[in-house]
Amino acid sequence: MTNSKKKRRYAAQNQKSAYLFILPSMVILSVFVFIPLIASLVISVTDMNIFMNDVSFVGFKNFTRLFADKRVSNATFNSLYFTLLEVPLQVGLAMLLTVCLAKNNRYCKLLRSIYYLPFVCSMTAIGIVWSMLLDPNMGLVAYWLKQAGFETIAFLKDPKYAMPTVIAVTAWKGFGYTLTLLAAAVLNIPQSLYEAAQMDGAGSFQKFIHITIPGIWSTISFCIVTTTISAMQMFDQAYVMTQGGPLNKTETVVQYIYDRGFQTAPYDLGYASSISVYLFVIVAVITFVLRKFVLNRKEDADA
Amino acid sequence: MKKKLVSVLLSAAMCISLLVGCGGNGAQSSSSDTAGTDTNQEQAAADTAKESQNAEVASDEKVTLQFWNVFTGSDGDILREIVDNYNKTNTDNIEIQMDIMPNDQLQQKLPAAIATGTAPDLVLFGVENIAPYVSNDSLVDISDFWDVTGVDKSNILENVLELSHVDGKLYGTPMQYNVSYLYWNKDLFKEAGLDPEKAPATLEELTEYAVKLTNPEKNQYGLALPTSVTYMQFLWANGGDADDPNTNTNLLNSEENVKTLEWLQDLTVNKKVSPSNITGPEADTMLQAGQIAMYMSGPWQINGLREQGINFGIAPCVAGSAGAFSPAGGCSYVIPKGTEESHKLAAYKFMQYWLTDDILKEWSQRNGFPVWSKTLMEDPEIQSDEVLSAISKATEIGRSYNLGYSLASQIDNDVMIPLFEKVMTGAATPEDALKEASEAMDRVLAQ
Repeated sequence: MTNSKKKRRYAAQNQKSAYLFILPSMVILSVFVFIPLIASLVISVTDMNIFMNDVSFVGFKNFTRLFADKRVSNATFNSLYFTLLEVPLQVGLAMLLTVCLAKNNRYCKLLRSIYYLPFVCSMTAIGIVWSMLLDPNMGLVAYWLKQAGFETIAFLKDPKYAMPTVIAVTAWKGFGYTLTLLAAAVLNIPQSLYEAAQMDGAGSFQKFIHITIPGIWSTISFCIVTTTISAMQMFDQAYVMTQGGPLNKTETVVQYIYDRGFQTAPYDLGYASSISVYLFVIVAVITFVLRKFVLNRKEDADA
Repeated sequence: MKKKLVSVLLSAAMCISLLVGCGGNGAQSSSSDTAGTDTNQEQAAADTAKESQNAEVASDEKVTLQFWNVFTGSDGDILREIVDNYNKTNTDNIEIQMDIMPNDQLQQKLPAAIATGTAPDLVLFGVENIAPYVSNDSLVDISDFWDVTGVDKSNILENVLELSHVDGKLYGTPMQYNVSYLYWNKDLFKEAGLDPEKAPATLEELTEYAVKLTNPEKNQYGLALPTSVTYMQFLWANGGDADDPNTNTNLLNSEENVKTLEWLQDLTVNKKVSPSNITGPEADTMLQAGQIAMYMSGPWQINGLREQGINFGIAPCVAGSAGAFSPAGGCSYVIPKGTEESHKLAAYKFMQYWLTDDILKEWSQRNGFPVWSKTLMEDPEIQSDEVLSAISKATEIGRSYNLGYSLASQIDNDVMIPLFEKVMTGAATPEDALKEASEAMDRVLAQ
């Protein structure tokens, strides 16, 4: 009996030191994540504006207003549209290139570094450069199209093409990063597996499907989850390149939050917070689903 | 038991020493790096301390005013010159520290700064901002300005002064006043076989000229119509309107508006006289590059056009069946809430300095802004200035569009700009777009 009591006390003591170890990161996380999260939950049920005077409790008024607001549903659609196209494009492109570039010779290393370059640039700078290149009146791309005898396309100004263009630029910026992660994972797969498959008479496509993909599945799913979350929070590229236009076709949820809270009088922080709570729920659900269906397949692959 | 306590203590000590270790290292390296300069800095600090003490003895305490404004263009350089000159010459020991930022950045920073008591002492922004800030109790009522400074209020044009008032109280002093003009490129007019000295005067003429001046081969457009702005001048010209700020009524649903919007859609979608979906700054650039023949904009175009050597003319906005009107605007100096009394008085001094005829004349002549001081309007130099006289004629048709109305920017962003964008891109028929806008207007006005 004394023994078990002692054990329990030992565990408790051990826990205390464990808490001390996680204290620094807990402090940082609570200042930058937990406290703002709770604050926005609280603000979302008030009518606080940016001047912060006369704040009162309004219950779920902001949320009922949110579901009637056409621009919220439009922005949600845009965010989902962006995510559904951007994530497969970025991860798929990286996976295709991994097949060719997962070798440690000088040529592959050089190409991998070149593809990685856009990732280290700021999205704002990239957005400005691309919107200059794609400008239908003064841009280089429009000029080339004209020289080649095609009709110029107003990439970022045409309601039909604006979102696909933003998606393409984002994927162009991000795929180098995904490629680097995937290439590192591929290089970790033991060569003996490939040799064994070779002996069994597997072709290169079969080797890719049965060895490469299962071997790097955990990295792929990590890439899918992180890219999806950042795609749902897309803001800077559209803000710089299109300001949400034309006709709100590229306005995402985060951009609409920003617009309500900080751009349009009466700077309604309460309403903006309620939209961010709404976005938080959507991202949480998506992450949960992805964890359940994408990350779980890792075990199957291992088995 | 003791052992466990020791282990806890040890681990805690480890954590702390890790943190301290990092901090300590950083501090050490930086101090050793800058050891040489440190003493210099101390010396310098001591010197300035002495100087400021001397200054305090010599005259009243020095007042440093923080001054935010939105003059990011070439006019900002001229403003900076004037402020620098004021800093050098004023005898009240006032120093103005000027901070120029784009308008949307100022709109983000200022409300938060006022709420947290870190606002600047003086702000210069568009008069359309005054009412929303006043409705949030964020600006100082400066109705006593005329009595305190002795500036003659009757020397300023009534309609200009009115823009700085909300409910009969003064919240700012005028800095500049402007309306939209019609700019036209005389060289392009000549090439198209039009009289280069005659600007279109009616909506029909504007259409006719714009079509003649459009040449897609040369990437040349007759009339630039940027989206993301409003075109009240067209609605007013045919007798339509958006809303009545005095009675909170929605005036969008009218035959006149449908007619105007149909005309506008025909101009952009069928006749394609404007580059599609351009922004204001893009239109400015194209105008300066000689790719645009006609454009409606404020006086801030003049310097850029002069620099690029464009042969341009300035005319009033065109007339429709109900006459010609142009949306008025301007900038005012305002004092945010929370400014100390002594700083407020110093800000009054600078406002007073701005309202002297010398400064107003310099500002109007160098920037091409219309004159609104009555004594200055008599000035022979102003009267003989070609651009300024063209402008003062075009300024006469100025009309207030929701100025002094706290819902103004919401009406613009949520109702009017989407309405014009939908009509001009052909995304909806004028009737449908107007119906949708009218519903949106009802929602905004109901607040």
